[in-house]
Amino acid sequence: MKRKTDFIILGAAFIAAIAVSLTGCQKAKSDTLVLRVANWEEYIDEGGWDSSEAIDLENGTTILGRNSMIDDFQQWYEQTYHKKIKVEYSTFGTNEDLYNQLTIGDTFDLVCPSEYMIMKLLSEDKVVPFSNEFFDTDNKENYYARGVSPFIREMLNKQEINGLSLGNYVAGYMWGTLGFVYNPEKISRAEAEDWNLLRNPKYAKRITTKDSVRDCYFAGLAMVEQDTLQSDDFLQKNDYKEQLQELLNNTDSEKIAQVGAVLREVKDNAYSFETDSGKSDLVSGKVYANLQWSGDGPYSMQQAEEDGVELKYAVPKSCTNLWFDGWCMLKSGIDDNAEKQQAAEAFVNYISKPENAIRNMNYIGYTSSIAGGDSQDIFDYIKWCYGAEEDDSDTEDYPLGYFFSGNENDENYVIRADKDMVTGQLYAQYPSKDVIDRSVVMACFSPDANRQISKMWTGIRCFNPFD
Amino acid sequence: MKKFYLKRSTLGIPYILFLSLFVIAPLIIICYYAFTNGAGQFTLQNLTAFFTSGDAIGTLIYSLLVAVVTTIVCLLIAYPVAFILAKGGYKRGNVLLMLFIMPMWINFTLRITALKEILTLLEGNLAFHPFLNTILGMTYDFLPFMILPLYNTLVKIDSSYTEAASDLGAKTSHVFFKVILPLSIPGIVSGVTMVFLPAMTNYVVLDMMYNSTYIMGSLIGSYFNAYDWNNGSLISLILLILMLIISWITGEFTDSDETTGGAYE
Repeated sequence: MKRKTDFIILGAAFIAAIAVSLTGCQKAKSDTLVLRVANWEEYIDEGGWDSSEAIDLENGTTILGRNSMIDDFQQWYEQTYHKKIKVEYSTFGTNEDLYNQLTIGDTFDLVCPSEYMIMKLLSEDKVVPFSNEFFDTDNKENYYARGVSPFIREMLNKQEINGLSLGNYVAGYMWGTLGFVYNPEKISRAEAEDWNLLRNPKYAKRITTKDSVRDCYFAGLAMVEQDTLQSDDFLQKNDYKEQLQELLNNTDSEKIAQVGAVLREVKDNAYSFETDSGKSDLVSGKVYANLQWSGDGPYSMQQAEEDGVELKYAVPKSCTNLWFDGWCMLKSGIDDNAEKQQAAEAFVNYISKPENAIRNMNYIGYTSSIAGGDSQDIFDYIKWCYGAEEDDSDTEDYPLGYFFSGNENDENYVIRADKDMVTGQLYAQYPSKDVIDRSVVMACFSPDANRQISKMWTGIRCFNPFD
Repeated sequence: MKKFYLKRSTLGIPYILFLSLFVIAPLIIICYYAFTNGAGQFTLQNLTAFFTSGDAIGTLIYSLLVAVVTTIVCLLIAYPVAFILAKGGYKRGNVLLMLFIMPMWINFTLRITALKEILTLLEGNLAFHPFLNTILGMTYDFLPFMILPLYNTLVKIDSSYTEAASDLGAKTSHVFFKVILPLSIPGIVSGVTMVFLPAMTNYVVLDMMYNSTYIMGSLIGSYFNAYDWNNGSLISLILLILMLIISWITGEFTDSDETTGGAYE
């Protein structure tokens, strides 16, 4: 009999637990729309700015993030569409974490992974395209379609996976290049503009690289192809950009083996494969250079500056990886619910509003995909950040027409900046046109290539007494 | 209706619920993934892949090496300390004990960060001695876990044993090796278990000490990052079995010594 009561209690507890969780779900369903959003950690303005932190732009606009972006969106949505909305916001640490979360059945309406993960999700038919209304530039509320940089729009449209153009499925959020943040007192710019810095014996155990298969594979491949990439023959090809794209997306077994050999040298020569110690080690002087995403560059350089250390950002001369994080809607979450899709699109539009893009940029330090369209705010923000106060010999013109108007010679979008900035923070946040010309997007690896590359990578990292 | 009495066994229900939700259920899931392939069919391929891969076996050896060396170093440092604390016979013992236990209240990543700076001052460039630094970091991290059980055992050894041995003419070294050491084995065993097992998998210390070689923990992580849950689960399972074996062996040790020791509860 005793056993029986235990069982009954156990069962009752279980049922109670399930009932509680079910009613919990039901309640939220009633009158407010729930939007489940997943984004990188610390990748959106969380508000709480002091009034002294306000950004006063040249054109008279003042930007201040008092509340978090999410709260502001909820308020704005209710005012604009007269519907209550609740954003369930969660964060992830790596693209793979997000993917694994989705695999075990978590559902999100809107997520913001990196380009290769978007391509992977798209190739697995998990992404909902943005609606035609979303791209309608006549609608005043369509801040994304009206404000996205022509350069980003074109780049997204050009990327295809299984014949589907990314432009219809992704709204760009942040983007950048891959390069070295380095200490100019220890390393010359020419050395930092070469991927081989990673295995340069002159700086043995003084350079850190990222503990990331993809970034290391790209750098390794660039070292393997160095001679081809810099030959006049290759540079002068009519279809240079296409060839470059193809060369740096090569995942043949033979290439993987060659890259593996190079990365072994890197492992022996580098200080470490770091996940987040690189920035602080640069400032403390433990290392002289660190492979970094451009987005982390300005923050590292600012921190170092406060500690009295000068750091610069360099992009290798041969090529670089153009990366981006973008918003895409997932089938598992949206589930043909037009109301939800509209809300997800409204969310993207809201954070693409120039003033909000500036708030996010200022908070994160990365580069927004938004150029602002009719609004001058974003260009003025860059001027506010990096523009030189006086026009002396230490300054130079830095054209950003390619980003803002799609015309690299556009005289309206030239910034007069300190020379320090042109090789430092400004260069990291907004690369110059020549960097863009030698940059390629690295697509997601095919499952088979992914297996081979992971195996190569594990081989490098493991102690193997039988080799 | 029968009247409801709160029985002893009912008090165990929260624990049983916890155990089944967070220990047994995940274990079943791990077993499922370990013995299936990507398509969900039963296979032993993951198992054979582990034992035929030089990388996996090498990582196992490397992890064991790190764990064994860390444990030995911890034991060599901790035993004399625990002995002095327990047998020193002065009241400062408690203060000294606090000094060793207090660092445990500080988050270990903070302690390792501090250690990193000190070692950089001493060595210049940490990257040249990854293995040494790993051992130093682990020892620094796990030392209190060795001192505490040793101290607890040693402090409970009745001093009449050692007095009797000395009265009967045993030399100091004999008293130590024939009386104190055997009586403290339960403490050594629990100290070793508390250091050895975590040292085998704590890859955070390796990461922070710039050791780029994988140990078991990081190897499992790398498989999950490559969307290969099956091989990752299998390695987790192997690690689990290995740990069960080790706890079983150490358990045997304490059991056989319980009758003779009496100092261990």
